[in-house]
Amino acid sequence: MTDTRSPGQRNRGSLSVVRPAVLGAEGAFETFITITSDGLVNAHNGHVDLGTGIRTALGQIVAEELDVSFARVVVILGDTAVVPNQGATIASETIQITAVPLRKAAAQARHFLLTRAAERLELPAHELTIEDGLIRGHDNRSITYGELIADETIRLELADDVPVKDVSAYSVVGRSVPRIDLPAKATGELVYVHDVRVPGMLHGRVVRPPYAGVDAGPFVGTSLIAVDEASVRDIPGLVAVVRIGDFVGVVAEREENAIKAAAQLKVSWKPGPALTDLSDIEQALRANPSTPRQLIDKGDVDAALKAAAKPMHRTYLWPYQMHGSIGPSCAVADYGEGGIRVWSATQNPHILRGDLALLIQRPESEIDVIRMEAAGCYGRNCADDVSADALLLSRAVGRPVRVQLTREQEHAWEPKGTAQLMDVNGGLNADGSVAAYDFATRYPSNGAPTLALLLTGRIAPEATVFEMGDRTAIPPYDYENMRVIANDMPPIVRASWFRGVSALPNTFAHESYIDELAAEAEVDPIEYRLRYLKDKRAIDLVNAVAERAGWTPRPVWKEPEADGDIVRGRGFAYALYVHSKFPGYGAAWSAWIADVAVNKATGHVSVTRVVAGQDSGLMINPDGVRHQIQGNVIQSTSRALMEEVSFERGAVTAREWGAYPIIKFPELPEIDVLMLPRQDQPPLGVGESASVPSAAAIANAIYDATGVRFRELPFTPERILNGLRQPVTPAPLAPPAPPTDLNRWPNPFAKRGGMLAGIAALCAAAIGIGAAVLPWRAIAPIARPDASVYSTATIARGKELAALGACAVCHTSEHGIANAGGRPLETPFGTIYTTNITPDVDTGIGAWSYPAFERAMREGIHRDGRHLYPAFPYTHFARTSDADLQALYAYLMAQPPVHAETPANALAFPFNLRPLLAGWNALFHQPRPFQPDPSKSAIWNRGAYLIEGLGHCSACHSPRNALGAERQAAYLAGGFAEGWEAPALTSLSKAPIPWSEDELYAYLRSGESRLHGVAAGPMAPVIHELAAVPDQDIRAMAVYLASFNESTDRSAHDALAAKLEAATAVTTAASAGARIYQGACAVCHEVGGPPLFGSRPSLALNSNLHSDAPDNLIQVILHGIAKPAVTDLGYMPAFKDSMTDGQVAELASFLRLQFAPDKPAWTDVAATVGRIRQTIAR
Amino acid sequence: MRLTVNGRNHDVDAAPDTALLYVLRNDLALNGPKYGCGLGECGACAVLIDGVAARACVIPIEGCAGRDIVTLEGLGTREHPDPVQDAFISEQAAQCGYCLNGMIITTKALLTRNPNPSEREVLEALRYNLCRCGAHIEIIRAAMRAAGHVLEARD
Repeated sequence: MTDTRSPGQRNRGSLSVVRPAVLGAEGAFETFITITSDGLVNAHNGHVDLGTGIRTALGQIVAEELDVSFARVVVILGDTAVVPNQGATIASETIQITAVPLRKAAAQARHFLLTRAAERLELPAHELTIEDGLIRGHDNRSITYGELIADETIRLELADDVPVKDVSAYSVVGRSVPRIDLPAKATGELVYVHDVRVPGMLHGRVVRPPYAGVDAGPFVGTSLIAVDEASVRDIPGLVAVVRIGDFVGVVAEREENAIKAAAQLKVSWKPGPALTDLSDIEQALRANPSTPRQLIDKGDVDAALKAAAKPMHRTYLWPYQMHGSIGPSCAVADYGEGGIRVWSATQNPHILRGDLALLIQRPESEIDVIRMEAAGCYGRNCADDVSADALLLSRAVGRPVRVQLTREQEHAWEPKGTAQLMDVNGGLNADGSVAAYDFATRYPSNGAPTLALLLTGRIAPEATVFEMGDRTAIPPYDYENMRVIANDMPPIVRASWFRGVSALPNTFAHESYIDELAAEAEVDPIEYRLRYLKDKRAIDLVNAVAERAGWTPRPVWKEPEADGDIVRGRGFAYALYVHSKFPGYGAAWSAWIADVAVNKATGHVSVTRVVAGQDSGLMINPDGVRHQIQGNVIQSTSRALMEEVSFERGAVTAREWGAYPIIKFPELPEIDVLMLPRQDQPPLGVGESASVPSAAAIANAIYDATGVRFRELPFTPERILNGLRQPVTPAPLAPPAPPTDLNRWPNPFAKRGGMLAGIAALCAAAIGIGAAVLPWRAIAPIARPDASVYSTATIARGKELAALGACAVCHTSEHGIANAGGRPLETPFGTIYTTNITPDVDTGIGAWSYPAFERAMREGIHRDGRHLYPAFPYTHFARTSDADLQALYAYLMAQPPVHAETPANALAFPFNLRPLLAGWNALFHQPRPFQPDPSKSAIWNRGAYLIEGLGHCSACHSPRNALGAERQAAYLAGGFAEGWEAPALTSLSKAPIPWSEDELYAYLRSGESRLHGVAAGPMAPVIHELAAVPDQDIRAMAVYLASFNESTDRSAHDALAAKLEAATAVTTAASAGARIYQGACAVCHEVGGPPLFGSRPSLALNSNLHSDAPDNLIQVILHGIAKPAVTDLGYMPAFKDSMTDGQVAELASFLRLQFAPDKPAWTDVAATVGRIRQTIAR
Repeated sequence: MRLTVNGRNHDVDAAPDTALLYVLRNDLALNGPKYGCGLGECGACAVLIDGVAARACVIPIEGCAGRDIVTLEGLGTREHPDPVQDAFISEQAAQCGYCLNGMIITTKALLTRNPNPSEREVLEALRYNLCRCGAHIEIIRAAMRAAGHVLEARD
């Protein structure tokens, strides 16, 4: 029979299993399961998938209990409008706890449908079978779930006593099922909150306060002085600047403009508050006020300690660490008429909704938080600040706003995994047994209120104390005399739950300490543990892991056989992760055997292999469990080896992956996962357990390798060397270089203080000479010449010459029209603006006759008779031939005229007196055309003509005297311009490989010499202009410049390059600077690294690293290369907003030591960084 | 400015210094490349430019004119995935999946220049792609599988 109803009317019935809402109106309910009459199943769970695959596992559970195929089940997570409020997704409890009502709801629905089918089919229920929602009797009659529901709306209240399936009947649960989310993720479908696009959506960014990472104290929410909206007025499409208390945000039509506005916005803050000094974490934790809370007191600890034959007092320290989510937080909010919607990556949608309601003073019922997937966050998104940020901005502009934090904000402001201090007082009895275990842990609380609530002053910025440090604070060992104290304390730095929470540091202490006891007792550490372990499943696990790893008893420490500098060791640790409110409950059991290799010379620790065993009870999706174990092993190995948040004056300074490195592929241990078959036992949380034994297993392995105990994380090379009593000795410094005044010179056109007095004195002398020289006459203006009188060839030649002279580089303002002038040149005397050299009659050179132009080029005199400042290099242009000057004139006159007034120079007296320059010219200028040297080749002379004349290379590359004139005796010996060093082009070059004709040609032609580096700073636009110059002229310039260097042998240079690169390969990261290099620089600079778009400059060969001055290196680190000479070279990001002066200085010093090991260390690098930060980026 | 992305030309109305990433995500509504660090450190934003892996967060569109840009979407779709995408799905090579774009693109670039890499070469090729969840083991297997290596089954 044909169904004549419209699709909308068809199949409208449903069966739901619900419970009364925890909060909300009378009669409101929350749904767990809905089966529609078309047979689809919606499963609702209040927890969210943090990337662990629980969406898949929950679907398996529902499919199993409901007897439908896995493909039929849609799992809905985290949308506050439709999912039950089951609290925050924390503590690995989704499967163990939160899935229980869902499972029961599925069983209840199945039971209801089966009962109804029995009635319809008039058969006893136990004679029916179910296959994918089809109920069949032995007589082959059948009916589907959908048919049983039909048009009815059936709502069942969740019952607690529903029988669930026996494990032996499972066919979906317990089998590995592919993750349902991966095809979408692997092909770029809309998955993440970052991908949400709402019609009319704008882009927002926030500006955070200077107290980076601190969220308690009277200054929080009260530190903003002013926001200068005018500072961002030029940003295209800027919609709003929003300020509420210390909350500051910008909104723009386009994302890149929101980013620019946030970076450019001038915000004044009150002077920085005195934050807790975190240079000594242990001291800071001891000084933080705390309240002791006794968790257990068994036997007589004090008496046992007194009687101990060998007392052992130990302290273990865990640093601040980052969750380090790969995707900075993002949210979209739509504060609309019809309701408020927030697309969020929160871990706790319902709690967030309460916070948002409080923030904007609206009822919760008006707000729908829609949870989208996010980058893995491991506890960080318990405080999904950005959702509140987006809501405030959307409310301010009345349109949907998407906000994403910058990487720097994510690093600085993510609530950290907190530092923790564990003290153990205990010891051995004479028989080697444990006398007592007196354990105290200090854990700053990790409440992390939503930041916008604090910044806007909606809630008070008080440091709240919670009972959080007690997770797994009681060791798993049955010590006769045991006392455990949790010292509850307020946060120091903003913190939230982080995978393994306080259990991880507590276990580091428990499992290190028992290893120390075993060593003192001279008993194998596993055997010793088994003496005190009473839990049968724990014992089984420990034995299984020991067997799998081939553990050999090691009762007494023996120095291992070294392989060169490498010593190897093996360590064990075990934990039952006990979490949630004390006394809490256990998740999966976990045990590790870690193998390490320690380089005693460098301090580098490599975890080579981990056998990770786990008893997880019933594994819903065994592949999912395996992934969680592997993920935990890798992440916690990273945390143990290298992770530690850095602070300066109490504020977080690590703002990118160089300052906070995480483990990279080549550093991975081999991982052998052992999953105990316990499918008959209830399922246990597996999201964190395998992290918990990590640090202790590795520390115990390092002890096995070296005989030294390390009780503080992370196990960096510096810490290991220090522990091995071979502290890092800085490489011996070479004697200071002899003063090379040829390379440092006072340039009147570079902004440098401290030399004004001397210059002024010399100027006075020049005035005397200048006064004796008669002023120049004006040359009469003409009507703009008709460019059509010049041949196309002449104009084309003129264009090449303009490119050679790089006229447009100086005569064009930032984002201005080419050659229309207006570029400010900062000098110690004030600011000079370059002039308009388009043929506009009023504001340019349109009224200039050729004689006037030629006089300017040769004599430095304006058409009106004024002297031009020698920032204009007429001293070079004077050498140009008449024919070339005429061609250049023709080209300039053939340009479109642009009306652009040149701003008035802002020069202080007496430098604003142009007649002074007559004296300067008399002293330093010889307006003679170029004279070829008959003893040299034609090509050499051609090169000389180009370089000395229009090319004016020595204007930057020669040192100058105190009055700013080039020192002829030091021609091309290097100089400074615009805050950059223009290196020597002669044999005085500091480059490790001399310049050759071929390399000069390559550099001038392509912007890159493999043996020296790429053009950057002021040289990049010069190379860009040279693209218009023909090959033979570039070759001539190379020939000429090469003649100032020693003769070359290409193969010798290549061999030297290979040798230098091999000798300076980075193998360890034993300093902060080295770690920054590996995290931030190596991706594009490591020799032999994977190809990326753009060039791959080799730092070992780079001239800048071998120079006496760090300026160019610092310039390029701070400002990057935004405008390369040619786009093929690629781009370098600016790190100025991601690194502190101290970090840049550490990096620059490391690079010098590493890549120019034969050169002396630079001095005062941090001060130079500070100085260069103030100069104009180019 | 005209950009060629996934074989199609797009005229984009954005400032020349706009990072390619924002144009791909916002103007072209592509989800594959993701913002991770803005400094080229993590690889989440990777795309192919003229067949070479590139970090779209640090490359302005003015550097992309006339170049052939391919994103994750351009490799293949759910119905017709690229062999590299297929290998990553088969090996379940992601947890949260935020880094997955970079892992797939980087593997694709590796296999383009070296169709038969060793495991060591895979590790080195992926050295500068960060994964925080610890999905590395599956990612390595996926890359090896995409390269045609026969993998041992896991127990």
